[in-house]
Amino acid sequence: MIRQVLFTEFLKLRRSKITWLSLLAFSLVPLGGGLFMWIVREPGRAAKLGLLGTKASFVGLEATWAGYFGMLVQAVGIVGMLLLSVIAAYLFGREYSERTAKNMLALPAGRHWFALAKFCVALAWFGAIIVFCLAESFAVGALLGLPGLTAGIAARGIGEVLLASGISFLVMPVTAWIATLGKGYLPPLGFAILTLLLGTILGATGWGKWFPWSIVPLFAGTAGPRAETLAPASLVVVVLTFAVGVVATIVQYRWADNTQ
Amino acid sequence: MNDLAIRTHSLSKRYGDVRAVETLDLNVRRGEIYAFLGRNGAGKTTTIRMLLGLVRPTRGEVEVLGRRIIPGESSVFRRVGYLVETATAYPNLTVEENLDIQRRLTSAPKSAVSDSIDRLRLGPYARKRAGRLSLGNLQRLALARALLHAPELLILDEPANGLDPAGIVEIRDLLQTLSTRGGATVFLSSHILAEVAHLADRIGIIHEGRLCEELDRAELLAKENPSVELVSSDNDRATALLEAAGFARIEAKDGLLRIFDAPGREAEVARTIVGAGLDLFSLATVKEDLESYFLRRTGGLAS
Repeated sequence: MIRQVLFTEFLKLRRSKITWLSLLAFSLVPLGGGLFMWIVREPGRAAKLGLLGTKASFVGLEATWAGYFGMLVQAVGIVGMLLLSVIAAYLFGREYSERTAKNMLALPAGRHWFALAKFCVALAWFGAIIVFCLAESFAVGALLGLPGLTAGIAARGIGEVLLASGISFLVMPVTAWIATLGKGYLPPLGFAILTLLLGTILGATGWGKWFPWSIVPLFAGTAGPRAETLAPASLVVVVLTFAVGVVATIVQYRWADNTQ
Repeated sequence: MNDLAIRTHSLSKRYGDVRAVETLDLNVRRGEIYAFLGRNGAGKTTTIRMLLGLVRPTRGEVEVLGRRIIPGESSVFRRVGYLVETATAYPNLTVEENLDIQRRLTSAPKSAVSDSIDRLRLGPYARKRAGRLSLGNLQRLALARALLHAPELLILDEPANGLDPAGIVEIRDLLQTLSTRGGATVFLSSHILAEVAHLADRIGIIHEGRLCEELDRAELLAKENPSVELVSSDNDRATALLEAAGFARIEAKDGLLRIFDAPGREAEVARTIVGAGLDLFSLATVKEDLESYFLRRTGGLAS
């Protein structure tokens, strides 16, 4: 049955504009990173074009592959968490907004399969975007002629982008649960903004490694000094967050009244 | 085998202080067409949602095709087709794709999609996106989805919603055929009482969450409550004359006299009035239709 449910969940995305819009939006991340690299490398020309404000500062940023990957990890960490919230809101919230949940939840397939299939679709959707983003990054970096590309730096860069994406994905199920709880698009989007703000604030305190939505900003380096490695406690927190989110979504599908 | 397609026992649902459904006992026999009537907010849709496991009862229990329904119960719904409240579909998918989802998840054969499209006359719209369908065609799509896997039981909430008169007759005939030839049980709620009167083997009337009456076709016919209605030049005097002549059940309303014990004695009524020198403008024997009966039972005529 999971095969059929998975097929239908992918089918529901057909002709959906949001898949392409999300790809288009995320494709700006490597382009934006590339622009910064160019500005760092060519500050004089950037200033003439008005791209560099007199007070703008890129202290510590180098126009190298390592610097470019560092920027990508930051951008993927933050934009990725937001994008995953949009994906969760769409996959889980649209069934309520379009009032199709009542059809879906009375079908002769276990409700947990629908929840799990939607998570699989989210993983495939986000994964495809990340792969595209990585490919685009290499193209942008090559076009800019960034120096210092070695197999080790490339592997490390790819690994860190994938790790940031993976942590972002692990905290996403809670947003999916909020979408099923709030029965629509808006509650998960509101929740995403709230957790992004809280994550950034708590990331700057000593509590960051315990708060799931601070762990990505800490790892990406957008909430203070970058954590080069993921603390074991943080790994446990994000894995637990994932488990709680998945179970809560399944329980919500299975037990909650559907009155829409 | 249990001969009941649907059985509810003391089924109740509360939302806070609101009693949506109260101790509802329903017994829908296999193969019959059961119409569930009620005014807006009477508890019809909540009941249907509980039958489908979409809403948890506060108290009581539901059995569908012999299986007790608990939240998340799914296997029995392979044998059930349903349409809950307004017709909805995935707007970015075509009619065919929407039906294909149903086909895959009910393990119906591939031909079921085209059969269902033909049956509901959706052929010209098969490749059209559901989001671009008219309300009537969206309703047809929802019905096609409900019928696609040849279910033993159909639970339909307002199946004629959005259909034109020809469409209403078409769906009525289709449901009748499914019941009489296919042996399917049909449980439907409707506001189109004239259609229900033509279609249903039994009717349940729900009011303020309670089943206030259940009638079979014979009882329904007996409840037609015939009366003689007349308009005279002086209805007050006519009432006095008729009472003097032995007619006891007379009701005056809106310039009309209704005499419930007069059917079969129309000539006597006419003689009594005309013989007293009053003008008789009209006189007719009328039967109460289901709509009037329903409104009277649910207090709708009070307004």
